[in-house]
Amino acid sequence: MAVMTHAEALVEAIRECMDEDPNVALVWGSLMGVGGNNEHVDHIKADFADRIFHPPISEAAIAAVATGAAMDGVRTIFPMGTASFMFRAWDQIIHEAGAAHYMSNGAVSIPVVFHVVHGLRGGGSVQHSQSPQSMLWNAPGIEIAMPSCPADAKGLMRTAIKSNNPTVFIDHQKLNKRSSEVPDGSYDIPFGVADIKREGGDVTIVAASLQVVHALEAAETLSTGGIEVEIVDLRSLVPLDEEAILASVGKTGRLLVVDEAPPLCSVASEVIATVAEKGMDLLKTPPVRVNRLPVHVPANVVLEDYVGPNTDRIIEAAKLLCH
Amino acid sequence: MDKGRLLDIFRHMMLIRRFEEAVYDFHEQKLFGGHYHLYIGQEATGAAVMASLRGEDRIFSTHRNHGHLIARGVDPKNALAEILNRADGTNGGRGGTFHLADASAGMPHTSALVGGSVPLAAGAGFAAKLQKSGGIGVSMFGDGCFEEGVVFETLNLARMWALPVIFVCENNTPGAVLKSAGGNNTSNLPEGRVIQIPEALGMECHEVDGGDAEAVDSLFADCATRVRETGQPIFIEALTERWPGNYFSFPSRVTGITQVSMAWDGSSIAGEYEDWFRNHDPVLRFARQLLDRGVANSGDVAGIDVEVTETIEAAKEFALSSPVPGTDSVYAHVLAGEG
Repeated sequence: MAVMTHAEALVEAIRECMDEDPNVALVWGSLMGVGGNNEHVDHIKADFADRIFHPPISEAAIAAVATGAAMDGVRTIFPMGTASFMFRAWDQIIHEAGAAHYMSNGAVSIPVVFHVVHGLRGGGSVQHSQSPQSMLWNAPGIEIAMPSCPADAKGLMRTAIKSNNPTVFIDHQKLNKRSSEVPDGSYDIPFGVADIKREGGDVTIVAASLQVVHALEAAETLSTGGIEVEIVDLRSLVPLDEEAILASVGKTGRLLVVDEAPPLCSVASEVIATVAEKGMDLLKTPPVRVNRLPVHVPANVVLEDYVGPNTDRIIEAAKLLCH
Repeated sequence: MDKGRLLDIFRHMMLIRRFEEAVYDFHEQKLFGGHYHLYIGQEATGAAVMASLRGEDRIFSTHRNHGHLIARGVDPKNALAEILNRADGTNGGRGGTFHLADASAGMPHTSALVGGSVPLAAGAGFAAKLQKSGGIGVSMFGDGCFEEGVVFETLNLARMWALPVIFVCENNTPGAVLKSAGGNNTSNLPEGRVIQIPEALGMECHEVDGGDAEAVDSLFADCATRVRETGQPIFIEALTERWPGNYFSFPSRVTGITQVSMAWDGSSIAGEYEDWFRNHDPVLRFARQLLDRGVANSGDVAGIDVEVTETIEAAKEFALSSPVPGTDSVYAHVLAGEG
C-alpha cells in the first residue's frame, strides 16, 4: 500500500484507464480545481497528448461534444472545475447525456464522466460553493459517485470511466490534499456498494464525500462520551446501497444523515425517505438530517462554517438522537 | 481639453492602484481567503468609462470588479470592508471579492460567472428603454467571455431589440512577451479576433488602447452620447497589456508598490519589468501624458498620490475595524419581504 493524496489517486485511475483503453479522452480543465493541485497531472499531459483537449470556457458545448463522442464509444472525462459551473451545462447533462440511452430505446449509451468539485471551500461565496448532488439525483439516467478518501476515489473513478452510463463524479476541494493508504495495482470499486467506515452500535451516520471525514472526527469525540457511531459511506448515490443503510439502522435503531446540499429535497431527505418506506420499524427514534442551512453561502468564512454541516453540528445532533 | 476631467480620471486611477495594492497586502496577511483578482493594469479603461456615466446608468462587472466600483465612486472603505467580508461591506460581507456591488451606485449585482454579467447589463438597457429613464446599460467584461454562448446570445438580442447598451470588452490576453514566459491566453479563438463577432451582427464596434486613459475617455464619451440618442448597442474592445503580476493563478505583486515618481524620473527604472514601467503601466503612462501636456506638474501628481494614499489608509482602518456579520444574518434576504 502506498500513501497518496486524493488528487494523486484520482489521477492514477485516469492514467491507468487511458493506458488500458485508447478510447479514453481527457478534457484538460482544472481537474483538481484552483490552488496548485495540478502538478500531478503533468505526466498524463506528456504521455497522452493526442487524447487531451484544452478547453475554452464553454461548459455547455464541451458537455454535449463529450456526449456526442460517447455515442460512438469515446469515453471522455470532462473536469468542469467548481461544481457551480456545471449549471452552465445543465441541459446537456440532464437532457442529452442523461436521456439519450432512454430516448434511443437502449440503442445508444453515453460513457462520459463529468468531474466536479463541490461544496464549501473557504471563501467561495455564492457562486463557487454549490453542492449539486441532490439536484442531479432528481434527474433519471445519471450515475453519481462521491468518494471520501483516496482509495475510494481511485476505484470509483475507474468504474466511472468504464461505466456505459454518464457519471457525475463529485469531489470536494477540501479532500484534494488529504492523503491515506491506497491499495497497490489496479482495482475497481463498483457503484452501489457502501462502505462501513466505522462500526458502532448506537447511531448510524450516513454520509458521503467530505462529510464522511467530519463524521469520523465526530465519532471519535462521541466515543469518548460513550456513544458508538457506525458510519455508512455511500460512495455512490446512483445506484444507492439501500441494503447497507437498512442493515446499519437495523443494528443501531438511530439514523443521522449528513449532507452538504441544503436540506429541502436533499440527499438526507432521500435517505430518510428510503428508511421510512422500507425500515420504519427499525427506527427507535425519529431520524435527523444535518445539512447546509437553506440559504446561500456567504463569503465570510466564519459564516460559511456556520451554514455548513461540520463536526460540531454532527456531534450535537448525535447526542440529541441518543438521549 | 478639460483639465479637471483628466485630473479626475487620473485621481480615480491612482485610487484604484493604491486600493488594489492594499487588497494584495490583506490577502498576503490572510485577512481574507480564497481566490481573488486585481484590476492593476486596467485602471485607464475603468476610470475613463465611468467618467461619462450618469446616475441613471447601470454598470455590471465581473470577478475583476474592484476597480470598476472605485471608479464609479463607491467609497473605498465599504469596498475594502466587503473584500474582508465585514458587516460594513458593500454587500454586508456576504459577497466578497468576486461580488462587490452597490445598488445605490447603479451597480446592482456582480456575477463571477464567466459572461454572467453581460446579459444582465443588456437587461438594464431593456429596463431603461421600457421606462424611458434615459439611462444605458454598461457591461464591463473580459475577452474570455466570448467562449461562453450566452455572450453571443446577448449581443444578438441587444441588436434585435435595439437595447441601449455599451459592451466594453477589456481584452487582457497576454502579449507575445508574457506568452513566451508561460502566461495563458484568457481567450481562445482559432483565428481572427473577438471584435469580429459583434461586427458580424452589424453592431457598431470600436477598438481602443485600453491603457490610454484619454483615448478611452474620448471614445467612450462619444459612444455614450450616441447610445443615448439612438438606443442602439455599441461594442468597444479595450486592448490592455496585462499586468505581469496577473499571469499566475493568484496575483503576484512582481512590479512592487507603484512609484509615481517613475513618471518624471526614469533613473530608478530597471530590471525585468522595465518595459512595463516605461511603456505599459497605465498609471505611469497617464501621469506622463498629464505632465507632457502641461495639465499637471510632478508636484500635482505626487500630491494626488498622497491624497489617495491617505484615503486608502483610512479605508484600511475602517475595514479592519468593521465587525464580522453575526451568524443570524445568514438567514436574512433569502426571499424579498423577509429579514
